[in-house]
Amino acid sequence: MFIMRFTERAYVAYTEEDVRGSFRNSVRLTFPNRYFDPALGADLYNEYLDEYEFCEEVGFDGLMLNEHHNTPTCLGAAMNLEAAILARITKKPKIVLLGNPLPILDNPIRLAEELAEIDLISRGRLVSGFVRGTGIESWATNTNPVHNRERFEEAHDLVIKTWTTPGPFRWEGKHYQFRVVNPFERPLQAPHPPVWIPGIGSPETLEWSARHHYPYIYLETDPQVTVQMTELYNKAAAEVGYRPGPQNFGYLWRIHVQDTDEKANEAGKGFLIGNAGIGRVPMPGDFMAPAGYNSREGSRRILEQYKHALKPDALYGGVDAAGWDAVVESNRVVVGSPKTVIRKIKEGLEVLRPGILGMWTNDGTITHKDTMRCLELMKQEVIPAVKEIGKELGLPGPFEVAP
Amino acid sequence: MATSNYQERELTVDGARVRYCRGGVGPPLIALHSVEGHLGWLPLYTELAHDFTVYAPIHPGFAGSDRPGWLESLVDLSRFYLWIVQELGIGKATLLGHGMGGWIAAEMAVMAPSAVNRLILISAVGVRPRKGEITDIFLHGADGSRRLSFVDTKQVADYELLFGRKSSVEDREAQLINREAATRYCWKPYMHDPALPHLLPRLRDVPTLIACGRDDQIVPGECGELYHAGIPGSRLEVIDRAGHFPHLERPVEFMRGLRSFLNLR
Repeated sequence: MFIMRFTERAYVAYTEEDVRGSFRNSVRLTFPNRYFDPALGADLYNEYLDEYEFCEEVGFDGLMLNEHHNTPTCLGAAMNLEAAILARITKKPKIVLLGNPLPILDNPIRLAEELAEIDLISRGRLVSGFVRGTGIESWATNTNPVHNRERFEEAHDLVIKTWTTPGPFRWEGKHYQFRVVNPFERPLQAPHPPVWIPGIGSPETLEWSARHHYPYIYLETDPQVTVQMTELYNKAAAEVGYRPGPQNFGYLWRIHVQDTDEKANEAGKGFLIGNAGIGRVPMPGDFMAPAGYNSREGSRRILEQYKHALKPDALYGGVDAAGWDAVVESNRVVVGSPKTVIRKIKEGLEVLRPGILGMWTNDGTITHKDTMRCLELMKQEVIPAVKEIGKELGLPGPFEVAP
Repeated sequence: MATSNYQERELTVDGARVRYCRGGVGPPLIALHSVEGHLGWLPLYTELAHDFTVYAPIHPGFAGSDRPGWLESLVDLSRFYLWIVQELGIGKATLLGHGMGGWIAAEMAVMAPSAVNRLILISAVGVRPRKGEITDIFLHGADGSRRLSFVDTKQVADYELLFGRKSSVEDREAQLINREAATRYCWKPYMHDPALPHLLPRLRDVPTLIACGRDDQIVPGECGELYHAGIPGSRLEVIDRAGHFPHLERPVEFMRGLRSFLNLR
């Protein structure tokens, strides 16, 4: 089992009123950046890097980062810079980028160069995930959302070719044209750094990932739906002639541990602020998914997929209707003492059977102090126990069995 | 012939099925719709059908018409429209366009001035204002931009029918398709073609009417002025108490100006 640590690196020094005052009441895209205090921002970046640095000592196999734009919910607007720092200040853990939003790039060659540098500086520890980005990423970079998937696939093909084909070569695509592709620095890992794809289960991406043998990382999706989506992946894999195993799947899960259940339950409520922002004010649908961002066929399939799971109390997103206790009860968020957390993780792993477990240890208003205690307890009790559970359940990660 | 009668027809160009409404008698006039999509056979078309054969096509990519896979931009769309006109075999036509449809009409005209009899631009986008901005309808969302489109929706006959909340799955699907098509053609550069103003002097022999609502909160009046300044001999009509849809909000005043321009009775 491959265990990685994640936080979205939230900025929380603003109020619900501030959000409601922004254009279309949105915490992302249009939330005015005058609410960003650079002095606090400087502290936060350093604090978050300190936490990740400590995670090596905690025993995590990977340090997972993500990227979003125009939002206080995630300070990783230039994730590759954080990754480059971690590449230098840590020695062992993989640096897992989930991921770089490909469609918003006009120059994917530059990305291939940045990632190669991270791989070289880290001496081959990069895991290079790619994403389509939310609609916000398209808005923030003025990328036409109707080309999102085309650009994702073409930029991916170009980056992989840049890493694997001796240059110089020429690329004349629909969205990208380069006449001399020949970056001098190639990545250390051969044929190229591993690619993992995170998502919430868009059928087209699942099938695409399966065809490429790329592990798919479910971002805290409904457990029952996750099992169904895995069948989609398996089917697409069978069509290209292989049978996936746990090494092909990951699951990202909000897991916060404290000395007692009570303390964890209280501190864990900070997750509620996480990627929803202070006040959990609903965002305009066309900000997250502008027209054309999802294909109509894809939208239909994902709705069909989720049809049976759209019970508010079962969904983390339904927390406002269901309440915190229901969310905790249904294990969509795991909080508790080490003992409680280990038991709940085991229950989840039995159903989901991922070879990669992403532990989203803290977010939103969970304090640095509580986070450090959480990581300490993970080091002492949770990680060793989950490693054993992984062995017991036969859940190899992608570095044990090739996906 | 009863001029309010029209027929729904289609033709296939480059494998793409393009649907259109046709009605009336006389020389051809092509009415090009805005980002809202095809709103049906408008009263304006019935009026014009007394003196013209009116063609009201659904733009390729909008709900009802196919888009050839290669067609990605508004300039592509305008070139394709010249092909459609060629296939219709109607010769030199009068082009009337609203909003994005006005932009298409202007592009077609500067590409092939000799194919255009007269040009009528209603609240047209396509040129970048220097002082103001064309409102970002995508950022405002469908409801938000509609709220900005009218001075008073009560001035619009059949407002509910045309713009009310759609209840059927098909209608909502059509709105989504229209929004997607508008996004494809108008996202970037947003609602304009940097080259277009430089080409407008080509239209010196194309009689042109530029009509806009005085209180248009989507397209600033400056756009109408830029078209007017760019097209030699063009006429500018600014209609009071009208927003982005002057032909729907102030139909009588709008028709008065249009009739005068077309030398109709």
